[in-house]
Amino acid sequence: MSVVKFAWSAALAATMATVLATSAAAQMELRIIAPAAPGGGWDQTARSLQQAMTAEKLVKSAQVVNIPGAGGTVGLAQFVNAKGDGNTLMVNGFVMVGAILLNKSPVNLSQVTPIARLTEETQVIVVPANSPIKDAKDLAAAVKKDVARVTFAGGSAGGADHIMAGMFVGASGGEAAKVNYVPFSGGGESLAAILGGRVTAGISGYGEYEGQIKTGRLRAIGVSSPNRLPGVDVPTFKEQGIELVLTNWRSLVAAPGISDAQKAALTALVEKTVKSNAWQEQLKQKGWDNAYLSADAFTAFLKNEIVRVGDVLKSLGLVKS
Amino acid sequence: MQSQTRRVDRVGIVVAALLAVLAGVVIWDMTTLTISQTYGVGPKAMPIVVASGLALLSIGNLVLAFRGGGEEREQPTMLPILLILGGLGAVIALIGIGGGFIPAVTILFAATAAAFGRRAILIDLAIGFVLGTAAYLMFAKLLSLSLPMGPLERLF
Amino acid sequence: MDPISALAQGLTVALQPMNLLFALVGVLLGTAVGVLPGIGPALTVALLLPVTFKLDPAGSLIMFAGIYYGGMYGGSTTAILINTPGESASLATALEGNKMAKAGRGGPALATAAIGSFVAGTIATIGIVFLAPWLVEVAIRFGPEDYFALMCVAFITVSATFGASPIRGLTSLFVGLTLGLVGIDKLTGQSRLHFGVPELLDGIEITTLAVGLFAVGEALYVVSRRHLVQDTLEPVRGSLWMTAQDWARSWKPWLRGTLFGFPIGALPAGGAEIPTFLSYSTERRLTKYPQEFGHGAIEGVAGPEAANNASAAGTLVPLLTLGLPTSATAAMLLAGFQQYGLNPGPLLFAERPELVWGLIASLFIANFMLLILNLPLVGLWVRLLSIPQPWLYAGILVFATMGTIAAKPSVVELIMLAVFGVMGYLMRRHDFPIAPVVIGLILGPVAEQQLRRALAISLGDPLVLVQSPMSATLLAIALIALIAPFAMRGLGRFRSDAD
Repeated sequence: MSVVKFAWSAALAATMATVLATSAAAQMELRIIAPAAPGGGWDQTARSLQQAMTAEKLVKSAQVVNIPGAGGTVGLAQFVNAKGDGNTLMVNGFVMVGAILLNKSPVNLSQVTPIARLTEETQVIVVPANSPIKDAKDLAAAVKKDVARVTFAGGSAGGADHIMAGMFVGASGGEAAKVNYVPFSGGGESLAAILGGRVTAGISGYGEYEGQIKTGRLRAIGVSSPNRLPGVDVPTFKEQGIELVLTNWRSLVAAPGISDAQKAALTALVEKTVKSNAWQEQLKQKGWDNAYLSADAFTAFLKNEIVRVGDVLKSLGLVKS
Repeated sequence: MQSQTRRVDRVGIVVAALLAVLAGVVIWDMTTLTISQTYGVGPKAMPIVVASGLALLSIGNLVLAFRGGGEEREQPTMLPILLILGGLGAVIALIGIGGGFIPAVTILFAATAAAFGRRAILIDLAIGFVLGTAAYLMFAKLLSLSLPMGPLERLF
Repeated sequence: MDPISALAQGLTVALQPMNLLFALVGVLLGTAVGVLPGIGPALTVALLLPVTFKLDPAGSLIMFAGIYYGGMYGGSTTAILINTPGESASLATALEGNKMAKAGRGGPALATAAIGSFVAGTIATIGIVFLAPWLVEVAIRFGPEDYFALMCVAFITVSATFGASPIRGLTSLFVGLTLGLVGIDKLTGQSRLHFGVPELLDGIEITTLAVGLFAVGEALYVVSRRHLVQDTLEPVRGSLWMTAQDWARSWKPWLRGTLFGFPIGALPAGGAEIPTFLSYSTERRLTKYPQEFGHGAIEGVAGPEAANNASAAGTLVPLLTLGLPTSATAAMLLAGFQQYGLNPGPLLFAERPELVWGLIASLFIANFMLLILNLPLVGLWVRLLSIPQPWLYAGILVFATMGTIAAKPSVVELIMLAVFGVMGYLMRRHDFPIAPVVIGLILGPVAEQQLRRALAISLGDPLVLVQSPMSATLLAIALIALIAPFAMRGLGRFRSDAD
């Protein structure tokens, strides 16, 4: 009985805290840290949040602070020092998980307070239109035949594209450590390498290659989402018998050591923002997929991803176990 | 005066020594790399090329130094240099402790003006303040650029 | 639809009063941010993107293009007047341009830069209209080994900036190459020479190095010699405008600069720095007044300035025809298209011709605006030099600091600025050339990455470097450029022996 009572009072207290927190949030002077230079994905996420929150008057003010560097680990290192700061959120995502391991960052994501997963982007593998490779099975067969001769172009070493190349090779029965992955700086350069037939295949977010896929200059041989993208006629890898599911997600975390009330306030604020029309409009405009997970679900998800990414990076030989 | 007698160019020797040290650092750093590339040339190749070049240039500079001919350079005045560097140091310190952009550049402006011989420190501080505020307002507010904020900047 | 009638249709869009206004706002903003070191057109467009969403697509894209072109003009002004290149594309301009300004010829230097930019921008925009579809096919065939060969050509041309002593020039270059090693290796994700400082993982910002060496170093050097030389800077000596001789010496460099800038700018990894330095060294070799180089030769301003504007136009070729962003600014322009749900490429030409051709037509207009805006300003800009020296240098340092911290808000960046400033001072004092350090930082990492990419794709077979006709040709050019001066000298000696 006492347990029930305790649960009741706890629930009541939590509700009270949320109510209080929500009214407090409208007075909040929020800082959103984008651990990247202006213009990138994290910066755009931060600025879209800022716009949505101020448009819906959910906060008194919101300010975006850029702390670029090293896949976000420079920003993270500063952020973990802001112990107990309940007025600051930081944007981060899949890429930071890998960057922490690669850069041997002294700080990591277990030190911050997860608040929510916000968006995700599906990854795609493409080949030039005149390539003999027609689908993911063909590519998997080529990998199995001679992994060295199958060259993948994509973004920076250890990033989402590289991890996906490793996972693809692993899933098609090749040795991940032998993947011939060629990192390019910037989407334009890798796209040129693919179109020019310099590499076998290219990996990137679906949005980046969408235009080329539609005009038929690139052939998409598979998307990394669990289900097909709405309105896009590209099969998933799963459909083609290749166990490869990966999305490039973006999320929000709060400072370490914040009180429960502070956490409740931030969670409530983000939840309200995500449900607002202003945010939905931002998603549509930027072409992002909503992938909202609340604090608890995201905490569990994040834990899982950290382990998974670590394993892939080890199998790629990029991180020594 | 002294340039007629052939003497060893001390600066050249210092440069040669610095280059040799730099080459050593590059090589030492190269040995700490643990992962090599699976195909083609790894990340150690370029440091080796650079370090070899630095080592050769170290020898080259040493030879030049012993051939002499380094002309006597007139002594610079150190005080103004230190003033400017002090100004930059103040900027670094102020921004480091969260003092904000405007006070930092105000000090830098006044210190530099003083280094160039001006003795009207209050006027220069005022000009620096106006310049810093104008720049801050234009870039932080109009372009939403994140410049360092201190107590003063939070007022805007 | 043939290009000419399409362009005419585009002009009717671009000449609408609202769009003219957007173009004007764009070029003004672009000039303003171009003047400031560290804050470039890419950053500006990135920051303006959320603001402009509510505008109509044609208007805001026209404004962004104006910012891009304006930034290229603005960068040269500070390079010439106060030896502080606003963008790395204006580095080459600073070399001769600032010498001209110090000799009281800042007016002609600014004028040849403005007119050269106009000529190059206009020719290159015509190039977009007629050559784009063809050029882009060539550009995407350019692979890593071809870039590596292009870098080899660029490395040879660096020697043009060496000054009197090759050993000192090479020393500077290798210091730059060492700085280029700092940070994460793009191909394996490991970090080199970062000494545990996370801010160093992304490598050394070109702007921080350039601003430190040029602006801060210059301030320290001038102040240290104030008691020796009373630098009474005369803003204008002789004519404020270009003389007949200036015109005669400028027009060929403008055209040659355009020829370097446009095609290299259209390459996915071409950039603006390489064509400007290629142009600089070409002009230095071809000039009839070699004794003036290093003391303010107008060819050394006219060529690089034309090259950097032409390369800006070249960047738009892959962007408009394929949706391929090849520079930071182009990537932001692409984001600008995408926020309206538009994807640049052949489809866009067919679906929204009024938008694409309106944008291209507005490039002509932006260029023309910049010319008529900048020429009358020459007189005003030159007056900047009559600001009392203490305030002039104090202002320069304030803006140098701001540019550095705006690009990367971190104390580490400011410390680097100060260290590079002291380095620039010491190098000036002991006659080490400064430009090769910056060139080493720019070229070194690119050359290394492209070589390693080429070898990774070929599984380590070095023959890949000479198998492509393009890279073989470029390597041959590099070899000839390397050997020719020695051969000529040998030949000269042989002749004088025979005498």
